[in-house]
Amino acid sequence: MVTLNVNGRTFEVDATPDTPLLWALRDDLKLKGTRFGCGAGMCGACTVHIDGQATFSCQMTIGDAEGSEITTIEGLSADGTHVVQQAWITEQVPQCGYCQSGQIMRAAALLAHNPQPSRQEIVDEMSANLCRCGTYTRIIRAIERAAQEG
Amino acid sequence: MTMQTINATRRDFLKGSGALSFALLATGGVAVLPSAAEAQPLPDGKVNAWVTITPDNRVTIMFGSAEMGQGVSTSLPMIVAEELDADWSMVASQQVSTDPEGVYGNPMAGGILFAAGSSSIEGYFTYLRQAGAQARQILIQIAAAHWAVPAEEVTTRSGTLHHDPSGSSMTYGEVAALPEPAWPSGEMADATLKPRTDWTIIGTDVERLDIPAKTTGATEYSIDVDLPNMVHAALLLPPVEGEIPTLTSDTAARAIDGVVDVIVMDHAVAVLARNFPAALAGRDALDVSWTETSPYRHANSEDELIALSGAVDDMSADAVVWESRGDGQVDFTGANVFTGNYTTEHVYHAQMEPLNAVASVDADGMGAEIWLGTQSQTASIMIAAAVLGTTPDRIRFHAMQMGGAFGRRTVFAREQMRDALLLSRASGRPVKVVWTREDDVKNGWLRPATVHRLDAVLDAEGCPTALRHRVASPSIFQFAMPDRWNPETRLDLLVMEGAESSDYAFGTFQAEHVLVPRQSRLSAWRGIGWAPNCFARECFLDELAERTGSDPVSYRRRLLAGSPRALAVLDAAVEMSDFGNAPEGRAHGLAFAGYKKTLATGVAEVSYEDGQLRVHRFWTAIDPGIVIHPQAYRAQVEGGILFGLSSVLRERSTFSGGRIDQSNFYDYEPIRISEIPEMEVQFVDSGEPPSGGGEIGVPMTAPAIANAVRKLTGAAQRHLPFPGRA
Repeated sequence: MVTLNVNGRTFEVDATPDTPLLWALRDDLKLKGTRFGCGAGMCGACTVHIDGQATFSCQMTIGDAEGSEITTIEGLSADGTHVVQQAWITEQVPQCGYCQSGQIMRAAALLAHNPQPSRQEIVDEMSANLCRCGTYTRIIRAIERAAQEG
Repeated sequence: MTMQTINATRRDFLKGSGALSFALLATGGVAVLPSAAEAQPLPDGKVNAWVTITPDNRVTIMFGSAEMGQGVSTSLPMIVAEELDADWSMVASQQVSTDPEGVYGNPMAGGILFAAGSSSIEGYFTYLRQAGAQARQILIQIAAAHWAVPAEEVTTRSGTLHHDPSGSSMTYGEVAALPEPAWPSGEMADATLKPRTDWTIIGTDVERLDIPAKTTGATEYSIDVDLPNMVHAALLLPPVEGEIPTLTSDTAARAIDGVVDVIVMDHAVAVLARNFPAALAGRDALDVSWTETSPYRHANSEDELIALSGAVDDMSADAVVWESRGDGQVDFTGANVFTGNYTTEHVYHAQMEPLNAVASVDADGMGAEIWLGTQSQTASIMIAAAVLGTTPDRIRFHAMQMGGAFGRRTVFAREQMRDALLLSRASGRPVKVVWTREDDVKNGWLRPATVHRLDAVLDAEGCPTALRHRVASPSIFQFAMPDRWNPETRLDLLVMEGAESSDYAFGTFQAEHVLVPRQSRLSAWRGIGWAPNCFARECFLDELAERTGSDPVSYRRRLLAGSPRALAVLDAAVEMSDFGNAPEGRAHGLAFAGYKKTLATGVAEVSYEDGQLRVHRFWTAIDPGIVIHPQAYRAQVEGGILFGLSSVLRERSTFSGGRIDQSNFYDYEPIRISEIPEMEVQFVDSGEPPSGGGEIGVPMTAPAIANAVRKLTGAAQRHLPFPGRA
């Protein structure tokens, strides 16, 4: 039994400590907005915040996540109105949408640490996340908008 | 379109129902359907209707093509809403999952539910306009009868009916709430369609209906489906296609906490577990031996490229003629003949959501409920029925939003669904089959490698008087759709389309396909045949222009002189990019490439930085006919350009000993955000009917970049992906 603090709530998860956080979130806590893309830390679809840091949840065990504050896309805002989420709608970023939870979580962490990132800083940070539909141009625009409006 | 009879026995459907529904018939007419309460329910409980209006003024519009990111959940309903004169802010849309009566299918896809080849908007456009217009006409007639005024005096504006002489008005929702509406009877002629100048929805950038849920994680893909008592399955798949497993021991697997069962299938060994990590751990613990009898265990992509190169140059090799124009016999051996060979390697789809399926088979084994992301609901249902040996009416199907598709989820996406069905039937429980990324990469159905040989006979001015485009490749069609493969004609449009180069006047022209046996599993990839074929042709033409001292634009202008639409996109791209005037250290390259009726020209601006190719900017002028949703169309083009660029930079699947060599995104890495160019998309409005946008970004991109690199470095680029550092 592992205790996880997710989106401000405490959960007891009946799984071994070496279970990847991704699968505990998805299958035990039913927080499906965190996506499985590669299981290898290569695509970022599973990005969540661990104590405010953008982290691949497929590469972290629940044992290691115990004691940390975990935030998923479902906990980023109560009603989808985080400045990054709103910028994502204004710029009409998503296509298939599958990678977008991870993109939004990474962008939100970036802006929390660096409220006015340069274009190059945005690109450097977001290079961790893949989008096969090719929404990258709009991702940059949305982050710049969120930085302006945030 | 024909006159349509409204079924008089349905005139009182509205009594007490509180909702109006309209169904578009296969003939293009409109039928009125009862609301959910009174409907003849279909097996999944849905009412078969395109439009439903409820007393709260909400308008729900069904859409047939499956949503995979291309925006059809918004753009198809926009077409209906335009002619219906709906208030767009009240419109919601709903995916069609099943079509037992054949009313929702894409007319361009033989009337089945099938989203591929950029066919959704083109196929449904006229059909859905008529559906919306006739629905509006019915509302007008009901209102006119209610007010006892002539129908000709009733008008509509944004979800409201008006009778201006009397000052009466009511909303569409109020019509739906009428206790006893006077239903129009008799035959209904085709409704008059709005002139384009009156459009208020088509051509606007309304917010896409699918986007808010995609920013909160709420969108549900099939991989997210959870059912009571469901188990998660991980499959140990054959190391080489076609090998058969023998289970030596599953003792260690069964000992793993959470593992529920181990099931040996014909083609795989499945571990069923309470959660996916346990299923994976169980799979790792299996001891399985495989037959070594597959003909593909010696398949090797290097050898295949050599075989393709040999076949394309072997003029005695049997070739299927795809297109022929002008006089037949041409001597391609003279001194004025120029030849170029071009190669594209295998590529993998890399859709972000790994392939998966959820199935719950009925207790009698003869029916099932299925959740699947698929480009064809109709084909998936037929396959599911065949797997269970049952009839399609026993399949309750949920078409889920797809986490990308790009050709991987067309009629070919059947393995996971088949396995989920078989495992659910065997275990008596709902089963979710999920492929890991490694499963997805190693069991890819690849776009085949192609080798192209182009020969041109040039006149004194360097223009072709004859041109031949030979393509050597295995057949996608023969492998992926064997039941529709014609062994007599052997025409494979998935490989050959685009090679016809129909906008060009080459004098005598022939495109032909040298079929070579496959060595891997195959499917179409975004851009389909057009991407490899346009790459070869557009690189070749640029080389011809250079060889004859002409510039790429005027050379093409001569060859495209018979196609005003082609000239228009060529000229627009030249102008918007200031073609040929690249900044110091950079170069421009250009390519004209269509996709079916959509025409485009792309211009790339490139340089090498530290020996690494960098595409700085990409401009494109596109004539797609009428654009329904410009913003979503641009998004499709941007995505297509990045697919094309990614195939230039490094995308390549290789295999040896019948096994794909790559495993995950660390050795098959699609383009990242740090590598993208600035992109500018401009529409050239010919006023033609809409002709699609999903593929068009791809075919122009690789040749435009290749031509820019040749301009910059002097070295022709004839191989995708490019060989790497300059």
